[in-house]
Amino acid sequence: MADETQKETHPEQPRSPEPRPQDQPRAAEAAPAPAPRPAESRPPEGGRPPREGRGGEGRGGEGRGPREGGAGAGGAREGGKRGRRGFYRKKKVCRFCVDRVDYIDYKKPEQLMTFIQERGKIMPRRITGTCSRHQRWLAEAIKRARNIALMPFGGAR
Amino acid sequence: MDERLYDMIFICRPATPEEEIDKLLATLEHTVEERAGKVEKKEKWGARKMAYRVHRHREGYYVLLVLRATQGDMVHELERRLKVSDIVIKYMTVRLDEDMKRQKRLAQRREKKASRRPRAGGRTHGHGGGEQPAAAAAQAQQ
Repeated sequence: MADETQKETHPEQPRSPEPRPQDQPRAAEAAPAPAPRPAESRPPEGGRPPREGRGGEGRGGEGRGPREGGAGAGGAREGGKRGRRGFYRKKKVCRFCVDRVDYIDYKKPEQLMTFIQERGKIMPRRITGTCSRHQRWLAEAIKRARNIALMPFGGAR
Repeated sequence: MDERLYDMIFICRPATPEEEIDKLLATLEHTVEERAGKVEKKEKWGARKMAYRVHRHREGYYVLLVLRATQGDMVHELERRLKVSDIVIKYMTVRLDEDMKRQKRLAQRREKKASRRPRAGGRTHGHGGGEQPAAAAAQAQQ
């Protein structure tokens, strides 16, 4: 999560160095809840002159390309939309919290398969929107499943 | 000593006859009983494709045992038996009681919350619903 904000604020850095130190501690605080980020990132964009804003968006869009591809392969959760006022993201919700999951079973690889990438990597939280607690349980379950050959370590052979 | 819950999964060679697996299971169960444990569940998943090759096998015969143990060396002995067995190509034991305890605790907490909600009066309808009882209480005080 912190990564993302850094990348987004990066193009602005030479013009306005102040927002960055402000943003970083806030990003660390808000790490468990991804919701407030879009609301936060909007005001500085609106405050800037339009010419500058467009430039930043363009570069940001290029950087975001591959990551959106990854989301499409997995959850199709991240639908970045860009309106006239700037960039905002759909609020992601932890799927396990919605279903009120208290224990993620490693013996059901069909369910866990949706949370790994093609090469067998565990999907990061910033893409799936899983909350930190469930991500921890999920990682544990995936690792157990890998251990007993229910899930792959390194993708398709 | 407190009881512990374990999942024990092992994978046999796909070509092993069923009797051999049953024989192995019988010896395992015997050890469990010997050590004052209990077999909660015994599941034979049968031959299924493995996610990667193990000892050149692409398939494996999965067997799951859910065990309750009171003596610490029970798992040790069972794992030793699986290790020396020729038909077993992979095994894993997972301690589950702590996860289950956590699960129960969370379920209880949620139940408590759910039972508290109706008394709070329309809390589920958002902020507007929550404010009304407060306003009513303030009026009652006046």
